[in-house]
Amino acid sequence: MSETNPNPAPDSTPKAPAAPVAAAPAKPAAPAKPISRGDFLWAGWSMLAAFFAASAAAGARFMFPNVIYEPSQKFNAGQASGYDLGVSTKWLNEQRVWIVRTPSGFYAMWARCTHLGCTPNWWGDQNRFKCPCHGSNYTLDGDVIAGPAPMPLWRTKVELAPTGDLIVDKAVLENKPGKREHAPYFANYASA
Amino acid sequence: MPTLDIEKIKKEVVDSQLWRSVFRGGVWKDTPRDRAGHIIGNVWLHLHPVKVRPRALEWLYTWGMGGISFALYLILTLTGVALMFYYRPTIGLAYRDIKDLEFAVTLGMFLRNAHRWAAQAMVVAVIAHMVRVFLTGAYKKPREFNWGIGVLLLTLTLFLSFTGYLLPWDQLAIWAVTVGTNMAGATPVLGNEGPLGSLVGMRINNDVRFTLLGGTMVGENTLLRFYVMHCVAVPLVVGILLILHFWRIRKDSFSAAPYVANEEKVDVWPHLVKREYIAAAATVLFIMVWSILQNAPLEAIANPNVTTNPSKAPWYFVGLQELLVYFDPWIAGVVMPGLIIVGLIAIPYIDTNPKGVGYYAWKERPFANTLFMLGVFMWFALIYIGYALRGPNYAWYWPWEDWLMPKAAPPPTWSVFGPHGVAAYSMLLGIPLMGAVAAAWMLLPKLIQKELDGKKTMGAFLGAVALVAAVGMALGKMGPIEGAFLLFFTGASFYYGFVLPQRHIRALDWPRYLVTMVLVISTMSVLLKMCARLAFNIKYVLTIPSISMNF
Ligand code: HEM
Ligand code: FES
Repeated sequence: MSETNPNPAPDSTPKAPAAPVAAAPAKPAAPAKPISRGDFLWAGWSMLAAFFAASAAAGARFMFPNVIYEPSQKFNAGQASGYDLGVSTKWLNEQRVWIVRTPSGFYAMWARCTHLGCTPNWWGDQNRFKCPCHGSNYTLDGDVIAGPAPMPLWRTKVELAPTGDLIVDKAVLENKPGKREHAPYFANYASA
Repeated sequence: MPTLDIEKIKKEVVDSQLWRSVFRGGVWKDTPRDRAGHIIGNVWLHLHPVKVRPRALEWLYTWGMGGISFALYLILTLTGVALMFYYRPTIGLAYRDIKDLEFAVTLGMFLRNAHRWAAQAMVVAVIAHMVRVFLTGAYKKPREFNWGIGVLLLTLTLFLSFTGYLLPWDQLAIWAVTVGTNMAGATPVLGNEGPLGSLVGMRINNDVRFTLLGGTMVGENTLLRFYVMHCVAVPLVVGILLILHFWRIRKDSFSAAPYVANEEKVDVWPHLVKREYIAAAATVLFIMVWSILQNAPLEAIANPNVTTNPSKAPWYFVGLQELLVYFDPWIAGVVMPGLIIVGLIAIPYIDTNPKGVGYYAWKERPFANTLFMLGVFMWFALIYIGYALRGPNYAWYWPWEDWLMPKAAPPPTWSVFGPHGVAAYSMLLGIPLMGAVAAAWMLLPKLIQKELDGKKTMGAFLGAVALVAAVGMALGKMGPIEGAFLLFFTGASFYYGFVLPQRHIRALDWPRYLVTMVLVISTMSVLLKMCARLAFNIKYVLTIPSISMNF
């Protein structure tokens, strides 16, 4: 450590290179207390452990994709006037949504059982939705009346566009009574 | 014409430089030394010991099920690699490729069948192997660790089946996996729909389910993830665990039964190896015949919007599916499987009974055997109910009822403690009350020092329950079927969960005793919850919707 640079930059600004050079021949510096073997091993192993922990965390993070290519949740369900009163399964196959028309307007329900995500079926004669996976039953409002589902079906955002089309957005959901009956989860539409 | 001298030809072949370079060792004289050398000098065979105790050869002792599980694992590897040559894991192609395998690829149908049937057979074989290991006490010291590895192998065998199930991308596949992965979303804390999950900020796009799926729904990423896990990651882990498993069988020595007088060990070559080859050949033959006779199912292409009715899991998961009818997903799908795995691994450490190692010993291990077999039986009973007694809309159909017959809508359910329950204060009233019942049940069998008379205790208990049922019926609150269910389920839980522990394990030290009782009571809670639902339409005993906590 007490050596001078063998290749000093030719135009280095004035420094004090003389000092270390002068000190060197005087007396070897007292050796700094070396790190003990135990501490050294501790440091080494900790670094290895930290490396493994960081790798594990990075590996876990790697499994979370940043960009996913999934279909848009918003769709145009066509002319509101085209629907009859009651449950329409017109969009079930393509969009997994039931459009329900009541005397005063529309709501749309996401056809995903709140138990474990199967698609229930509408049974008009019994006036209820029934899930084929573990037997949950829901009313027309989406409330659970039998089976293991823990909460009501989700209603989606639904709007009436100026063109008369119903615009459904499955990304905006609500299932609490009191909230789900109002905009944006309900679109007023006076019966003709 | 010169006659064919077989012996001479054989000698020339065996003595040729080529043969000698492949198979080590000198001239084969069939001495014990030769036999030992054959095991030691062969990389595949040397995981065997040179000699074993005669019991290891007995079919009636091992049922050959460990070996058969391994044979099936090899068949699955071979057929699986073959299928990989024609299968592409993308939504647009997967189903078409399976169809091509069935109808356009020579032997494709056969290989697909063989892969499917071998997978199902392996599940059966591994379970049978576990049962035999349990019944012969082969998990006891020093084999505790190897039993634990075995439990992991069982779990991974099931996980391999689960991941493979998605690959055909048909209706069966997508819905079984939708339900299965949604259970991950119900994991406490780590899942967006699980208890406490939303409190710690879990959403549909950052929880454990999201990592499993690689998205918010079963889609392209999911198929790819499952493909990689099924074809590479899990088989690799299973392979590593198998090496450990086999190594420990050898190091711990095979099943230490008491020695018989003058017992002499036998040479592994040829006696054990011969039997292994016979078992493997029989397994291959069995799978081949089965694959010729029956085709693996393939339904319509997956439709992520519409579910078939009824929709059922592969049979070995139907027990779990049936459990989901009674319990919330986080209990049935996460806590119970977790308890089963941890509980199984714990068994060798809580079973201190030194007797019954290396032979079938019902008399000497009445408690361990009875409760273990009860668990296995319950698992298969649930499979039977889910598989045979559930029809359209997952409604209950007796075997003599036609699935086309429409069922009346199920009656409405109710909860005991909770916002809409009979008693509203689930936190203030329900939790302390349930806690007190559970604590009493935990402690009483050990605190009652004297052994209770089983017949009298059972009689008193059943009498009391019958009285309750009679009063209920008199008041018109209960029908005869409900009364019978009540008597049956509570009686069984009381016998297996109280009378037997009181008789057999009250002398166990406290830590072991408590762990055992947790496992016993959890098992009984299945019976009791089935009773509550089937007989009384009780949905939850206790529910706190604000944190998605339902019992
Ligand atoms: C992939 C699955 C498995 C394979 C291929 C396998 C293979 C084997 C084989 C070949 C044996 C030799 C004896 C016999 O055939 O019974 C054995 C023994 C053993 N297995 Fe497994 N096994 C598997 C899963 C399990 C499971 C699920 C358990 C328990 C939970 C288990 C626990 C044991 C124990 C403790 C032994 C030693 C038995 C003794 O010494 O008597 N194994 N296994
Ligand atoms: S997914 Fe609908 S009842 Fe389970």
